[in-house]
Amino acid sequence: MPFDTSSKVSVHVAQTGETFRCTHDESLLQGMLRLGRKGIPVGCVNGGCGVCKVHIVEGQYRTLGPISRAHVSAEEEGRGCTLACRVAPITAIRLEIAGSFEKPFSKGFAGTAKA
Amino acid sequence: MGIMRIGHVSIRVMDMAAALKHYENVLGMKKMMEDKLGNVYLKCWDEWDKYSLILTPADRAGLNHVAYKVEKDSDLDELQKKIEAYGVKTAVLTEGTLPSTGRLLQFNLPSGHEMRLYAMKEYVGTEVGSNNPDPWPDNLKGAGAHWLDHCLLMCELNPETGLNKVAENTEFVSDVLDFFLTEQVTVGPNGSIQAATWLARTTTPHDIAFVGGPRMGLHHIAFFLDSWNDILKSADVMAKTKTRIDVSPTRHGITRGETIYFFDPSGNRNETFAGLGYLAQRDRPVTTWDESHLGSGIFYHTGEMVPSFTEVYT
Repeated sequence: MPFDTSSKVSVHVAQTGETFRCTHDESLLQGMLRLGRKGIPVGCVNGGCGVCKVHIVEGQYRTLGPISRAHVSAEEEGRGCTLACRVAPITAIRLEIAGSFEKPFSKGFAGTAKA
Repeated sequence: MGIMRIGHVSIRVMDMAAALKHYENVLGMKKMMEDKLGNVYLKCWDEWDKYSLILTPADRAGLNHVAYKVEKDSDLDELQKKIEAYGVKTAVLTEGTLPSTGRLLQFNLPSGHEMRLYAMKEYVGTEVGSNNPDPWPDNLKGAGAHWLDHCLLMCELNPETGLNKVAENTEFVSDVLDFFLTEQVTVGPNGSIQAATWLARTTTPHDIAFVGGPRMGLHHIAFFLDSWNDILKSADVMAKTKTRIDVSPTRHGITRGETIYFFDPSGNRNETFAGLGYLAQRDRPVTTWDESHLGSGIFYHTGEMVPSFTEVYT
């Protein structure tokens, strides 16, 4: 992208092996979405639903807003767990996906609604 | 008469300033008051009672309670007897527990969601008044939603253990609160599992809906708009305000509603919903969607499920 001059750091998703570049003023999740990449589950993007829960293994970051205590306890937050939609990278980041989609219509039924 | 319509919802927000900005500027609601605890009360322009949305400051998102308005104060006594007779405990919260609101009959649905019923809320009138009114007021912000229309509650459903709070809720609100079923989704062997239901007290296809999921929660609260064109404008407003859109404008097979889904700044899902769908009546045959047509029931045009739509909620 020739006109994109903003400085970026790389974000590595351990489980998928994906790496994407994220600016310092956008959330890890927005950075991923902007590039049309996949890896971290995407939900409300506002700190409430918890599906983008990650464990930051390496790297520095800053928080962008409140995260739901229904999904990340204070103790977990202290250990580097957070929601990818609510943190922006300061340095390069290595993270593990900790959240997941819960599947109301596709688990345990005879047929699956979602192919 | 019993229950007339949805009266208000009380939801948790993690950043009050951001939430207020969202409900004022995106939905077009108006702040009516704030209480000592910092709870904020809002209404839509076409509503005549004092508020339809309570925002409470919290460390998480989700629903506190949903309230429905009954016609007469004596309905509360009659319904309390019926609810208790069904085996569900109730409590009466005295007038003033919520500001500008009469006594509240409080109980939990079988799914665990708190419901309240009330007969009185302070009348303030619509923005256009009742004497020779214009069809819409000036200075509407954002989508200019008319009123809070319905809510969809996620209810625990586990086919392996046979636990089905959708079916339990549906039976309870039908038998005790006198809602009637308009549409349902049936899944599993011979369609034996009632996985989602839409029920009415008014003449619109739903005043409440229940969908099965791994845990209870709030799927969305919906606000009424007139037309498809208003849905387009609503989407424009979301783009202008950088509001996170979940599902861009489309139509539901279920209820025939024209719709757009988005998230408030705490991740509570909102819907703006247009069209009356059809005239919901007690003797109208119940519409059933089976598992193979579920995608079309939810998103009629694509027929495809959107993962975040069914799997993300607060």
